[in-house]
Amino acid sequence: MKHFSAWGYLLFTLWGLGTALVARGWELAALVAVELVFGLVWSQEGLRPLRRWRFWMFIGTALAMGPWLGRRAGMTEAGAFPLSMVGLSMGLEMAGRALTLMLAFSLGLSSLSLSDMVAVFDGLRLRGLGFALGVAMNLLVGLQDMARTTFETIKLRGGLRRPLVALRLFLVTLVSNTLSYGDQVVQAASVRAFDPERGGGMGLSPRQADVCLGAVLASFSAGCLLL
Amino acid sequence: MRSYKVRDYVMVGLFGALWGVVETTLGTYVNVIFPWFTNTFFKGVILGSIGVAVALTGRFFIQKRGSVFLIGVITALLKTLSPGGARIGPIVAILMQGLLMEIVLSAAGDPRRWAYVLGGALAVGWNFPHKFIMMRVMYGRNVVQVYTKLAQDGSEMLGIDASLALLILSILLGVRLLIGGVAGWGAWALGGAVTERRGQRRQAAAE
Repeated sequence: MKHFSAWGYLLFTLWGLGTALVARGWELAALVAVELVFGLVWSQEGLRPLRRWRFWMFIGTALAMGPWLGRRAGMTEAGAFPLSMVGLSMGLEMAGRALTLMLAFSLGLSSLSLSDMVAVFDGLRLRGLGFALGVAMNLLVGLQDMARTTFETIKLRGGLRRPLVALRLFLVTLVSNTLSYGDQVVQAASVRAFDPERGGGMGLSPRQADVCLGAVLASFSAGCLLL
Repeated sequence: MRSYKVRDYVMVGLFGALWGVVETTLGTYVNVIFPWFTNTFFKGVILGSIGVAVALTGRFFIQKRGSVFLIGVITALLKTLSPGGARIGPIVAILMQGLLMEIVLSAAGDPRRWAYVLGGALAVGWNFPHKFIMMRVMYGRNVVQVYTKLAQDGSEMLGIDASLALLILSILLGVRLLIGGVAGWGAWALGGAVTERRGQRRQAAAE
């Protein structure tokens, strides 16, 4: 079971993004630590990007750019390893900012399920948008299958000999079938007397844990400002 | 949002999903349909423009203010729910593309072909500054120094004038704007073709 409601995770993402944009130096290091602890304890799904080599390549590039910039600007110190401390700290800061921003985004949003998002839209009185998201998610696989079938049919009938005509045929079929799907969903919704402006009641209220999280994050920010 | 009916929300959801499908599925197909375009730059631009064309076609069938932006919101949310996980770059790009198309179409008022062309051009063109803006946001202001140094070093190494770099950047942006414009034009034509086809289908069913 999730410890926080969707509001808690959204709060963490917004706080993380905001703090990462204004933090400097050691504040970024502290933020990385907070995000890692949050991820390990409450959002392990959100730490998934750390397992991708592309993520580390991105961070590594930022880290390497600092010393390179320092060397180009002649800020290196003489010796066997001509490293510039200014360049290195510059690279660390760039890498730290990128890491905190990506983690803040991933940790909060990866923990949200479809029903969480729909509930958030309900809470924001945007019930229709939650409904649209549900429709999109449920028909996504159907649309993917339809796209694949359409492409294979065009290919088997030799349509790829004229690529532009094939693309036009593909898109016209895709959009026509999508509209037909839409008609069916609208019919089903009308039969159930669904009204996006009425009903609902699935709105999500913040839990006590969300309030505690908010207080902890606020005190962290205050601590950074005071020190 | 009050003017939105159930059908509008359903279409927003479906075209949002279709944009997502195009982004994920068509990547492999582009290699088959246009094997000479396996270059990442062209592939990205082509995929982006097809996605934008799908979103604009959605607007053709949902003549409501804000519908293209909402289609973008749905696509972005689907991206966060996808197995690839929540990645900030593509999500911001999709939202910005939706917003740019929406601004142009809303400013134009009634549906017009030029608004589709301009909206498509701006949306696909956004891919270009997006990379620089995201790098500035992600890496902070130090990255500006890196860009400047890279441009200077590159022009020295190749023995060309630094101002030529600006020309190259303008060409890259121009190509995107052009392809985006074609995508917008295509969306208008696609909307018309689908309307015609559905009309024929209904007529056949009636007969």
